Amino acid sequence: MRPAVTDLESRLAAYLTARLPGARALEVSGLERIHGGASRETSRFVLRYEQDGRRIERRLILRRDPPGSLIETDRRVEFAAYRAFHGSAVPVPEALWLEEDPAPLDFPFFVMQELSGFESTVPKLLAPPYLEHRAKIGERKWTILGEIAKADPARLGLVGLMPPVALDQCWQRELAHWESVLDEDELEPQPITRAVIRWLRRHPPPPAQKLVVVHADYRTGNFLFDEAGEIRAILDWEMAHLGDPLEDLAWGLGAVWQWSRDGLAGSLLPKAEAIRIWEQASGLRADPSALLWWELFSCVKGQGIWVSGGREFQHGANQDPVLCMSSWMMGNSQDRAALALLGWLA
Amino acid sequence: MARVKPEATHALERLMQALLVEIAPAVQPAYRQASVSIQAMLLLAIREEFDRAAARRVEENRALRALFADAAPAVTEAALGGRLAAAAASEDASLRVPELEAGNRALRALLIELHAHVESLAGPEARRIEAAIWRELSASTERRKLSLAPF
Repeated sequence: MRPAVTDLESRLAAYLTARLPGARALEVSGLERIHGGASRETSRFVLRYEQDGRRIERRLILRRDPPGSLIETDRRVEFAAYRAFHGSAVPVPEALWLEEDPAPLDFPFFVMQELSGFESTVPKLLAPPYLEHRAKIGERKWTILGEIAKADPARLGLVGLMPPVALDQCWQRELAHWESVLDEDELEPQPITRAVIRWLRRHPPPPAQKLVVVHADYRTGNFLFDEAGEIRAILDWEMAHLGDPLEDLAWGLGAVWQWSRDGLAGSLLPKAEAIRIWEQASGLRADPSALLWWELFSCVKGQGIWVSGGREFQHGANQDPVLCMSSWMMGNSQDRAALALLGWLA
Repeated sequence: MARVKPEATHALERLMQALLVEIAPAVQPAYRQASVSIQAMLLLAIREEFDRAAARRVEENRALRALFADAAPAVTEAALGGRLAAAAASEDASLRVPELEAGNRALRALLIELHAHVESLAGPEARRIEAAIWRELSASTERRKLSLAPF
């Protein structure tokens, strides 16, 4: 049983009091669970305290490890990614405190700035007043992804925290990882995904053009947008790692994110236009055969995520119905996306 | 209007509508409200599955057995060929969904072995069988497709 919200508020207040030694009369209120990311429980809250005679109020986000989730990730990497990109051409909220000791709140967590007044969900995107700004949001989405690919991981201080990998080994490391996830978590045979894995091994991609920070879940739904079509923050860096820049480009182009059902990549732009914008922003080239490899890899990775979530739900580690729904619906869509890429979808 | 008792599919639709229209709007906070909406979507998916659960498994198990019967003579590994022939000759012992599903999983696991084996073979017959496998895999996703799915 997880602690009640009020208990969590008081424990969070005790923790933040220790982290803000100059603060007086510190209080936490309004702690409320929100949807956010696949691997952490996300809640918003208000922090108030007095410091140097001033009354300070901050709206913050608590990202806490859950008992079970779609994906198992390192919160230290996610926290570091937010910190690294804060203030850069890649908009992100400010990450404030990381706590890996489970004692304060039962599970590791971190706290970051809340950017309020913006939207992130696909249903909101596909309705007024945001609908008319889809092209602009798409232009910003793939431009910002180009900025992520342009950023130097060493200068960001992320090399080491994120394990480096040789340019010609990026694909092998990622494929081996997600194949092992499937080996461990699948609840039923996956003949399409297994065939895709064999195809990927028979047709290795060229070495990465450069080693970059890969967000690893760069898709519509994982950023905040406003009513003017501007993207205000890139969220959910929980799977970030060093790797091939085409991994991020391919993931966001996946057919499983075409919720608008109009063929637009990420429900935003024609695929070719998204690629053109990314190439211009990143200064890199999306070689069609290499991109196809990473698009098919995305189908393996996606299936790994849906399978893992289904296992968590089935075994009771996490009863969030979205895990069950994803396992059923997205798993089959992912298979269909793979078939389409290989030219076998009827 | 025909006089029929409420069917399970009808009941599931009504439950979904009640969750979406009557219950979800009254639930707070927003996270709980969204969770109720997802539960309503789950009910819609269950309604679709309830209707086709046995039919799609029977159809697929038959298709896989026919595929195995067709492919077995071309298989060059004797043990695999024997298991394919045995699977091709097997039948569903029951129309209960859990038993159909267990049979389906065994057949799909064997399909993975066959697919990998055929990929390693040269010649037009291997390519013909490989194409037949891909066509069956495509059909398998049609059988599982849910109306809410993005693709």
